[in-house]
Amino acid sequence: MGCFHSKVTRQHPGHEDPVTLASQTAFSVSEVEALFELFKSISSSVVDDGLISKEEFQLALFKNRKKENIFASLIFDLFDAKKKGIIDFGDFVRALNVFHPNASQEDKINFTFKLYDMDGTGFIERHEVKQMLIALLCESEMKLADDTIEAILDKTFLDADINQDGKIDISEWQNFVSRNPSLLKIMTLPYLRDITTTFPSFVFNSEVDEVAT
Amino acid sequence: MYRKIYRGDFKCHLWFSPKARRTKEELEFEAFNGDKSSKPETLNAFHIISLSQGFDLSSLFEEKKREEKEELRFATMRLASSVISRLEEVAKSVKFNVKKSESRVRLQGQECGRNGRLTIVADIFVVTPSFLVLEVKKDNVDTLEYNQFCSKEFRPALKDIVWTSPAENPTPA
Repeated sequence: MGCFHSKVTRQHPGHEDPVTLASQTAFSVSEVEALFELFKSISSSVVDDGLISKEEFQLALFKNRKKENIFASLIFDLFDAKKKGIIDFGDFVRALNVFHPNASQEDKINFTFKLYDMDGTGFIERHEVKQMLIALLCESEMKLADDTIEAILDKTFLDADINQDGKIDISEWQNFVSRNPSLLKIMTLPYLRDITTTFPSFVFNSEVDEVAT
Repeated sequence: MYRKIYRGDFKCHLWFSPKARRTKEELEFEAFNGDKSSKPETLNAFHIISLSQGFDLSSLFEEKKREEKEELRFATMRLASSVISRLEEVAKSVKFNVKKSESRVRLQGQECGRNGRLTIVADIFVVTPSFLVLEVKKDNVDTLEYNQFCSKEFRPALKDIVWTSPAENPTPA
């Protein structure tokens, strides 16, 4: 049968051990192992290679592997910390860590800033917000007149862009979020608190033992 | 087949099944905020953007398809007061109780279904003074009952205040 550890590393390239991941995140070792159960089911859904592709991510989110969505892509790109076009288990755990109810507000604020700063210039620019707004309206099958969209953007930037330079920098974003805390609602997943009951790990502690020897 | 329940004579036991777990905090919030008058929240561009399905990672943890836990969202160009009146009319026509504030309307059926009384919560959000978003969700109630109610009673009743894209709705903005 082969020992668990070698089986895991063969099927899951670059698999980091739960103890290390637990020490880097808010998750306990058994929570990391529970996340591994989730990771396994997502990463094997299209190609069983121990990695989550964009298609597998779409399948997990929308139950439809072909559904493309600008926001899911933005999230995928942030999970894909090493910019390899795929998400490995370490990426998965470290990214989900930011969504933990106990993760710091600072981490959540930084994550959303990077998310909305689509082209990575260090600023959230008006044209980026416009693009995302139009994409959302499309997704919701609502079309708004262009001047209504501009009015929404005007109001948003009047509120958020304190120095009125047409773009939102990180400190303006921090300020804006502190005045509109519901903007961080998407950054917390209560499910992560109950992860060990949602995904019972049948390999509880066995990998820890392997690593320790 | 439902048993006729007389108001106040019978308390429905609310089961917090896993699928209702997400709304438990909302229920608690409501218990405290019930009739409190609160102005509709204004949505900025980022609020609207974060409504996307693509940002809702809870799907990673749930087996169900999205349709089963759908929050209905309507856009309307009517005033909040007129939307609230319409919801009250709907409630009256199906003999539901209504609890309202300036930003929220809660409709509750008098009969007990599988999970307690059918309760629907409609929240009003302001995008611009002439453009509102109405978010409708079920509150600890059986999905099937909710979907039936929405398609048979709720949606048809709201049809003329719901705004769709300009191509379908020729009235001027």
